Amino acid sequence: MARYGMLINTKKCIGCYACRVACQRQNGLLPDENFIRFEEREEGTYPSVSVEHVPLQCMHCEDAPCAAVCPTGAAHIGADGIVAVDQGRCIGCLYCMAACPYQVRVRNSQTGAVDKCRFCVVSAHESGTKSCNCVDACLTGARIFGDLDDPDSEISQEIARTHAAPIAGDLTKSKIFYVR
Amino acid sequence: MSENMMTRRAFLGASAGVAAAAACAGGVSAVSGAQAFAADDAAGEGVTRQVHTLCNACSSKCGFTAYVVDGKLTKVIGDADHPYAQGVLCARGYGYTQIAYSEDRLTDPLKKNAQGKFEAISWDQAYAEIAEKVKAIIDENGPEALAMVQDPRPSGKYYTKRFMNALGSANVYTHGAACNLSKEAGFTQVIGTGNYESDVENSRMTMFIGRSYADAIRPSSVAALQKAHENGARIVLVDPRCNNSVAFADEWVPINPGTDMAFVLGMANVLITRGLYDADYVAENAVGFDEWASYVRTTCTPEWAAEITGIPANTITRLACEFAEAAPAASIEPSWRGAFGCAYANSGETARVVCLFNTLLGCWNQPGGALLTSSVSAGDLDKEKFPSVPKPEGKLLGQDVYPLALSGMGSNVYAAQAAKGGQIKGMFFYNSNMAAGYSNTAYLAEALGALELMVVVDVQMSETAQLADYVLPECSYLERMELPEFIGGKVPCVALRDQVIERVHPNTKSCDEIFSELAAACGVGDYFNFTVEELAEAQLATVGVSLDDLRRAGTISFPEKAFAYGSTPKWKTPTGKIQFTSEACEKAGLSAYPVWVEPEVMPDAAAGTLRLIGGKQAHMSHTQTANIQDLMQITKDYELDRVWLSTEVAEKLGIADGDEVLVSNECAEGKARVKVTERLNPTALFMPSHYGCSSPDEHTAYGVGLRQMDFVPFHIEPGYGATMSQEALVTVKKVGA
Repeated sequence: MARYGMLINTKKCIGCYACRVACQRQNGLLPDENFIRFEEREEGTYPSVSVEHVPLQCMHCEDAPCAAVCPTGAAHIGADGIVAVDQGRCIGCLYCMAACPYQVRVRNSQTGAVDKCRFCVVSAHESGTKSCNCVDACLTGARIFGDLDDPDSEISQEIARTHAAPIAGDLTKSKIFYVR
Repeated sequence: MSENMMTRRAFLGASAGVAAAAACAGGVSAVSGAQAFAADDAAGEGVTRQVHTLCNACSSKCGFTAYVVDGKLTKVIGDADHPYAQGVLCARGYGYTQIAYSEDRLTDPLKKNAQGKFEAISWDQAYAEIAEKVKAIIDENGPEALAMVQDPRPSGKYYTKRFMNALGSANVYTHGAACNLSKEAGFTQVIGTGNYESDVENSRMTMFIGRSYADAIRPSSVAALQKAHENGARIVLVDPRCNNSVAFADEWVPINPGTDMAFVLGMANVLITRGLYDADYVAENAVGFDEWASYVRTTCTPEWAAEITGIPANTITRLACEFAEAAPAASIEPSWRGAFGCAYANSGETARVVCLFNTLLGCWNQPGGALLTSSVSAGDLDKEKFPSVPKPEGKLLGQDVYPLALSGMGSNVYAAQAAKGGQIKGMFFYNSNMAAGYSNTAYLAEALGALELMVVVDVQMSETAQLADYVLPECSYLERMELPEFIGGKVPCVALRDQVIERVHPNTKSCDEIFSELAAACGVGDYFNFTVEELAEAQLATVGVSLDDLRRAGTISFPEKAFAYGSTPKWKTPTGKIQFTSEACEKAGLSAYPVWVEPEVMPDAAAGTLRLIGGKQAHMSHTQTANIQDLMQITKDYELDRVWLSTEVAEKLGIADGDEVLVSNECAEGKARVKVTERLNPTALFMPSHYGCSSPDEHTAYGVGLRQMDFVPFHIEPGYGATMSQEALVTVKKVGA
């Protein structure tokens, strides 16, 4: 079985929000329901200054704190290792939001349920896109989606080449890898 | 159960395996039914239509394919064949689709009553009353008392001009005087054309002055910049703000805003005094070099330029030498609005110097240099069906005062002045929010308030619409087809904005309908006896394309007209050469060859004044995008309406990141939160340009942030007629301090 993951190369990220809005529109989210969060880090002093944009989203952790604290089993790890939220079982207790070290879960202001990045490649495939909407939307090719267990996949090759690593080391066995 | 819930359940159901889902690729899906697009549950047949069309979130008008399921827009994907999209869209491209379903849409024609409130009227009544007033103005003051302001769109630029010309008025203005007029007019004086394209991706060195591909996105431009960077090209950003293009740049040159001209003159001095310029190229292609060179040699030393620009002389010298080494695969990029589109008293003259510098590099039409690419346009049409409108007798108002302003743009701010002075009595606005974005807002409100007739055609109640006597509701760009859009470039092409969805509000009309019907009411309907489809078909036939073909393809290119490297452009100047000297500039009261022009105002650290500069953010284009929920939410999440202040100045003033500050000058004052940053020249205060909406009917944008144009005095660039959008000084202090 595939073990899906993503690579995000922040050296290519221009902080343009295209991934966020594409994700919202193409997945039918509310305007204030955003699955991708950005951190911006400015370094250096004038005029020798650089800026790094870091998009953060559900890391689809193998050791997922959200699933561990969820009292109803709504937050769970699905068949492909994709962390999912069963909207019907979510009671809106927000434990998972408190537990997520990456602060990438959002509460739907209409339903009160919690949601987050779904690795939407599955549904996206059915309606015209090649990969996850954020991957397809990225103007600079900063994002790669694929099977981490397949050593020949583009993502595995790129992780090996760039020494990409999860944003917080081994904290939760996250499956989003960053080049920084 | 909301459709949103269905969506998620369906997703969970479908997530059993990618392989199964992939087998349905290209098929129909209810899974991605977009909740925000849809008011009710999708109980339809699940029929997907795909329509090629053009975005309207900025002037690039990128091509995309709209996926429409049961009549509802569910997905947009950038068209790979469109030269600007190249398969992807920016954040605005996705977000702006929401305008079709916005609660703030105008739905019926409106008339302002005696109490100053808008009331809905019928189209017939609107047309009849407007026509009556138009006729009265023409009878009393002549057609030259009428004017049009429009931000060009494929249909709009045709129908608005034809309408005004049919009435006998030549007064058709674009938004240009508040965008790229100075730049295009300055370029025209030197190379005989208003624009060129830097071959960034093939260059060895490209310098950007006040333009950021990563903040004002056209996907193809971002791709070219990224390629250039990956190929090892030297990318230099000259900008008072360290913009987001820095991801693909080698160097940020944090120039004092308003001094780009001195900077380029300083680099020219290095090329000329060291003999590093392409003397043969200049001798063969240009006139007037010696006069300018003598001025540059004696006056514009790097040390002189350093004093003005704040950039060390050795940096200026080094960059000039790097340019010489990289030439001819090098150029200064043409920029757009940013630094010298309309910003300063010296913007037009800066544009001239930029073209002259590129000439010193001998880079015109060289691989990696500055290119004058090819274009295709529609040929002559059947005169019976599409009769020519007689040329108006009067000249475009303002041409005598600002003779360098391009006749295709005119000076819209002069038109406002003429409205205030009573010379213009009736004004029409199409796709233009002049009142909020073109110059000082208080002045413009007063000037447009003096009109006897003001008609605004828009999709939402902009600040300009608020001032109008009549507001005519257009359907959104997703609900109308427009005339073919011809696009110049390395391979020129034509693309089409097509109708994607049925009209959401049945009493709205498209631009072609509105101006054709208005023309009929005004008695000049004989020039509009055709539909937009018929005109599109006829225009396309002149280039050997059918409307059906274009609808199927979205974009059709003309490879036989492709640009070829190495050719010498035909210089469409009065002398047929590149002009280091210009008679027209001299006649307009400027120097025949461009000499340093001081900005109108300069900040003074001792007096605590800062220059107010504006600029784009990647998720916003202008006031129009600010009223889009998805896009404004980004602003709110990250407080992107904050003004930027340099760390140096902030420390001096005791201001910390996140503090609320009072920004003030002689025109306005307002409170904003502040971003304290190392990414800004300490003589400037940066205010993002899209905010400060004062129209309460734009519920999303209303009241968020400050509006740059409130702080900019009304004034006009000598000779060129532009708005001088960054000739404004402000002071800033911590609120409560």
